Amino acid sequence: MHVETLGGVAVPPPVAPVAVRRPQEDPAWVRVSLITIALASIAVLVVIPIVNVFVEALAAGPGVYLQSLFGDPDTRQSILLTLTVVPIALCANLLFGVTAAWSISRFQFPGRTLLVALIDLPFSVSPVVAGLMFVLIFGLQGYFGAFLRRDGYAVLPYLFAFWGAALLVIGFALFRPTNPRARRGPWRATWLAVLSASAVLFGLLLFAQQALQVWPDHKSLKIIFATPGLVLATSFVTFPFVARELIPVMDAVGPDEELAAISLGASGWQMFWHVTVPNVKWGLVYGIILCNARAMGEFGAVYVVSGHIAGQTDTMPLRIEKLFQEYNLPGSFAVASVLTLVAIFTLVVKATLEHKVPRVTARIGESTASKGKP
Amino acid sequence: MSIQVKNVSKNFGSFAALTDVNLEVPTGSLLALLGPSGSGKTTLLRIIAGLEIADQGTIHHDQEDISQFTARDRKVGFVFQHYALFRHMTIADNIGYGLRVRGVKKPERELRVNELLTLIRLDGLGGRYPGQLSGGQRQRVALARALAARPSVLLLDEPFGALDAKVRTELRQWLRKLHEEIQVTSVFVTHDQEEAFEVADRVVVMNNGKIEQVGTPGEVFEHPANRFVMDFLGNVNVFHGRVQRGLASVAPGLDLAYPDYQHVEARNADVYVRPHELVIESDQSDTASLRAKVVHVNPAGSRTKVELQLLDSGLLVNAEITGERFAELDLKSGDTVHVSPRRVRVFIPEQSQQAH
Repeated sequence: MHVETLGGVAVPPPVAPVAVRRPQEDPAWVRVSLITIALASIAVLVVIPIVNVFVEALAAGPGVYLQSLFGDPDTRQSILLTLTVVPIALCANLLFGVTAAWSISRFQFPGRTLLVALIDLPFSVSPVVAGLMFVLIFGLQGYFGAFLRRDGYAVLPYLFAFWGAALLVIGFALFRPTNPRARRGPWRATWLAVLSASAVLFGLLLFAQQALQVWPDHKSLKIIFATPGLVLATSFVTFPFVARELIPVMDAVGPDEELAAISLGASGWQMFWHVTVPNVKWGLVYGIILCNARAMGEFGAVYVVSGHIAGQTDTMPLRIEKLFQEYNLPGSFAVASVLTLVAIFTLVVKATLEHKVPRVTARIGESTASKGKP
Repeated sequence: MSIQVKNVSKNFGSFAALTDVNLEVPTGSLLALLGPSGSGKTTLLRIIAGLEIADQGTIHHDQEDISQFTARDRKVGFVFQHYALFRHMTIADNIGYGLRVRGVKKPERELRVNELLTLIRLDGLGGRYPGQLSGGQRQRVALARALAARPSVLLLDEPFGALDAKVRTELRQWLRKLHEEIQVTSVFVTHDQEEAFEVADRVVVMNNGKIEQVGTPGEVFEHPANRFVMDFLGNVNVFHGRVQRGLASVAPGLDLAYPDYQHVEARNADVYVRPHELVIESDQSDTASLRAKVVHVNPAGSRTKVELQLLDSGLLVNAEITGERFAELDLKSGDTVHVSPRRVRVFIPEQSQQAH
């Protein structure tokens, strides 16, 4: 070894980088073969079938592709139906998911563990069974079916009017300042005044619905083999997504910021929109995306409750199956390609969001690190 | 605004967090709730704030019963232990939040926010996010946020618990000064007696959901009401002695006058002596003293800590002497010295009363 001397200072010779096999590293042939097996199975099981969907759909040219998507009135109807059912189910699940996540992560109450377990139930029940449950309840032979057929539309105005009146009373109870001196304007009303106002509202709503003929008169209300049934089945199957995504995020964020907002004078509503929603928004978006993907593709439960009436109760997955049974392969693959595109889009959004969600938790980790007792 | 806590009890399941607590916080005072963890001090603070609801009892502001009011209607500023700043809002938005939800217009809000940023010495940092600030800065922001809407009461939950020692000392002095400036009735929770004594003008010592003693820092430290307070506030040496006819025999060969107990009957008693109230002499003096061997000497800090072993009983005691006294005595491990208490406090256990 020779040492260069620069002005009396010894400079060590540059060390040549030597490829050293670290002890925990497996031999090259093991690594290569494992990676090859993984890639090959993904190619065979995932990539090739997905590419094939698009190849088959476009086999006869884009003209035929568009024709089979939009030319067939039944297919068109199925796309429209899916676009109706999914948003409604999504909204219902959003409402339920936020409520459930809120109560589970913020309150201690008897039956809390049971609720946590029940949220997962739709995941573990076979979708076909889920569909069957709704048929048994709302079908013509079910518990409510006959009643709803006969009087369904006659009951609805009362139901809606009642909800309107109840919301007024609940809102008053929730948002009225507890300090009598802080009450201004309508908050000064007595309970008697509020109850009579809600009675008036009930009457007005009832009257308005009948005057405007919101509900058809001499028609029977169908749930099963109709859109309401599809919404019910889809909501049930996608029940857990939003709540499941929100609960861990809300647990991690903790209730302190919400309590801080309340102590600073925010109402529950203000606290929710100013503090809770911004803190959990990525979890919420993530839940919605997953819920949407599942709702679009739902087959089993929807199959049971839809009754398969072409042009009426066929959603996109049901339409694919029907076209396939009719040997209309280009049509079936065309619809399938749309669903696949939705799935790919979901994956992309999900992957993008996954970078956002951990960032929230990382910041929490940082602040908990500084929480350590001295 | 003064606060009255009347007969407040709170249970969490089978755990009694507070048992029949009564407390009065006079207007403009700065009061410390001091106690070990699990003593119910934070629960009491949260009940005053309205973040927790008492099972029994009432909270009054200036004689007005506010027990049924929610936190938002109590006009209370609350500083959380871990700050609980809104992480997605800037510092200025954090501070202005209390005004925003009360419908204060933006220009007026900005004025107040800038005023508070100056008060907490964070001018120009209003555009930052909580994650970009240090612990001490975050703590000051939390305080400013609580003060923004001019609350009538300021409540602080372990305000300096999560900070390092140096920042903590600075912030304590700052809080003390701030309180003198704004004179808002304040209550803070701490488990650190030094902090309570330095900042508060009244100290409430709590244990097991009950208040043990209320008083000024001097009163509580010099005249502890009971054995717990004595034990909790600083180090003590405990001698198990006996009292009889106005005399307390602390250890063999050391009898002290104890006029509070004139009974003929002898009784077991615990004698508490603080380390700085032990006098160390190299030679036997006139006063009654005990012979002891120096076990260990620790001259670090403003006072020298000396660990002694009594030769008669083998009991280990801790003493604290000034640096000058230490130099005078020239103590080394193994030296034999004479120890006498300058001041003792005698507590007669309840049990022995029943035994007799």
